[in-house]
Amino acid sequence: MVAVERVPVPSVPSAVKRDRDEVFVEYAKSICPVCKVVVDGQVNIRDDKVYLRKRCPEHGPFEALVYGDAQMYLDSARFNKPGTIPLTFQTEVVDGCPSDCGLCPEHKQHACLGIIEVNTGCNLDCPICFADSGHQPDGYSINLQQCERMLDVFVESEGEAEVVMFSGGEPTIHKQILDFIDAAQARQIKAVNLNTNGIRLASDRRFVTALGERNRPGRPVNIYLQFDGFDERTHQEIRGRDLRAIKQKALDNCADVGLTVTLVAAVERGLNEHELGAIIEHGLAHPAVRSVSFQPVTHSGRHVTFDPLTRLTNSDIIHLIAQQLPDWFQAKDFFPVPCCFPTCRSITYLLTEGAPGTADFAVVPIPRLLNVEDYLDYVSNRVVPDYAVREALEKLWSASAFMGTDTTRDRLVQTAAALDCADACGINLPEAVANLTERAFMIVIQDFQDPYTLNVKQLMKCCVEEITPDGRLIPLCAYNSVGYREQVREQMSGVTVADVVPNSRPLQPILIDSPYGSKIAGTGAGHHPDGERRIAPDRTNVGRGIR
Amino acid sequence: MSVPIQPHTAAEAKACCAATYGSDVVALLLGGSYHPGGPALTRRLADRLDLRAGEIVLDVASGRGTTARALATEYAVDVTGVDLSDANVALATDTAQTAGLADRIRFRVADAERLPVDAQSIDVVVCECAFCTFPDKPAAAAEFARVLRPGGRLGITDVTVNAERLPPKLAGLGAWIACVADARPLDGYAALLRGAGLTVTYTERCDDAMVAMIDQIEARLALVRMAARAQAEAVGMDFDRAPAVLAAARAAVADHVLGYALLTAVKPH
Repeated sequence: MVAVERVPVPSVPSAVKRDRDEVFVEYAKSICPVCKVVVDGQVNIRDDKVYLRKRCPEHGPFEALVYGDAQMYLDSARFNKPGTIPLTFQTEVVDGCPSDCGLCPEHKQHACLGIIEVNTGCNLDCPICFADSGHQPDGYSINLQQCERMLDVFVESEGEAEVVMFSGGEPTIHKQILDFIDAAQARQIKAVNLNTNGIRLASDRRFVTALGERNRPGRPVNIYLQFDGFDERTHQEIRGRDLRAIKQKALDNCADVGLTVTLVAAVERGLNEHELGAIIEHGLAHPAVRSVSFQPVTHSGRHVTFDPLTRLTNSDIIHLIAQQLPDWFQAKDFFPVPCCFPTCRSITYLLTEGAPGTADFAVVPIPRLLNVEDYLDYVSNRVVPDYAVREALEKLWSASAFMGTDTTRDRLVQTAAALDCADACGINLPEAVANLTERAFMIVIQDFQDPYTLNVKQLMKCCVEEITPDGRLIPLCAYNSVGYREQVREQMSGVTVADVVPNSRPLQPILIDSPYGSKIAGTGAGHHPDGERRIAPDRTNVGRGIR
Repeated sequence: MSVPIQPHTAAEAKACCAATYGSDVVALLLGGSYHPGGPALTRRLADRLDLRAGEIVLDVASGRGTTARALATEYAVDVTGVDLSDANVALATDTAQTAGLADRIRFRVADAERLPVDAQSIDVVVCECAFCTFPDKPAAAAEFARVLRPGGRLGITDVTVNAERLPPKLAGLGAWIACVADARPLDGYAALLRGAGLTVTYTERCDDAMVAMIDQIEARLALVRMAARAQAEAVGMDFDRAPAVLAAARAAVADHVLGYALLTAVKPH
């Protein structure tokens, strides 16, 4: 393992004190990426970048980049709103975060988005998959009764829930996926998202039609389509197959039945970070696409070897978009999302006209039309120009915002009121803008945490929750990184599952292959052969006095 | 947008500015209560002025009352706003009442060059994005000095222009530039205040606020073009010329020819 302790240790005793090469900004609580015990951590700023460092008594020091732009990291702290208490909690506080998921009564936010993974099976075996899914003999899939229970837990917790996302595995290969969608639509859940690789959408017109029929006013169904880029290499390295024609067919089929699509790109350093602009342009040009979501590859589950110190973060993606499409974007067009921890997710909205490449194409980022920070900066603003506009912006800058939902459309219309110039020159601009919302386009950037970057501070306010078959709501990043995913798979499949360890460069000497393509520790750390699993036992300095 | 307005006399200019600030094109492109820097710059000004709860504040050219409301709410001061526009005064009064601030804020129609306020009765005068528009600046500065008590403070945020170096293309900004036409460089404002017997205590360039304003004009122009092109062209907006004008404005900011500034001054004892 590579030593990452930054304390300079002079070989010869010296009388001159030296400064550290970094600014210590936060104490943190994290986990050991190898054995998943909870350990102390520290957040430091070095060379204008933000790093999380921690040390496991057994497995040594670890360090990872968590935000590529220190100024943006510090500025984002203002965009943090008070959380909303969910109606119910599913667990109790016993050992503390992140061992009690969830949600436990100490959780700071309700669930903006609930995720139901319907299976572990998939019609692809992607080299990158945080769910560690694929053609596997020993996974699981849920049945309708289980799905209904999961939906009920979500609704009990939320009252009226904004969005549920069906995921997997590959949810479209589950034989009852349409029944699951019906079950969601029969409950107090405003919108359904289907997270898919698009293979079935490209080949099964009848299935697409059935989805289109379920996409109806007040109960939209949106497609969350994996879409990583246009280079063949991108497809081969991330998905293991050239899926370009399939993606195009899937998109066209969705457009034919009026389904709204979000293009979702997993972005990996050195693979497809040059394709961000092209993905946005493609989305703007395609009638089905209303938003793009960029997600730095989550180094949980299965992924290609990576360097934790140079991984991509939200600010890197923002700067890359501004570099690749300088005529349309500046970095400051993106604002942190205040419902979760503001460093987790950033969003911008555009109003557009025409298609890219045509003469009359025009694009206006909404944050240039009104000063978003006058509304979403919760620290500086004791007076907000218009509280209805703040409320609208809160719904737009949220993990529950998806294009095609009534909530998002209505809030865009409401936001136009902030333009504050009704009837100037005989033009009612707010009204004119309200008519443009069908052409609004959303860009989301979301850096999910992995076992290297996990910071309990962010988990505690997470609003994207994995709904488990046993009726828990577990923050997605805890589910992926702390051991819950392995726990649930083991419970559901009856097959022992060792804790997955990130396939990072420094850890290569101790890694061996898991049966699912991910990596596990060859040392036996994180293996639970007797079925006894304690989630994230504590190795921080708690519960003991000094004598 | 394409009609350059050249005021010839002070009276015309004053009428022009009152009309322009209530004017449709400005409202369309900047909103009715816009000033560069927004509430954040208002706060910076208030902090620089060290506003204390209970102080008597006069907001000169108070517009729709945004600054007055922010100061009364966040700094617990008593604010009187004066503005040349009846419509602005009515709107600002209404908004303050709705916000439950009627006991702390009032607005009156008045001219900055003849303030309807007793001598030495004010703790703090603020004037945001308006001093540049006053045709008789020495008279306005003298009025600020007259109404301030000894030790009273003045805070100004405003457009700065180095007139000799302003590119002619910027005249194409029409209604907007009409108000900027008599803006001064930062040291010009400082000299005006000193000329009125005030001591300048702090100056700061805030050119980012001007860049943000140009960004917003550009964005709203694009939006108007998208949403209501024919209507806008009918009232004289020239979408083909706008990009060159905006580019010239950006270049002028980069060259320190056009900018924004914050100044504070104090009336000596």
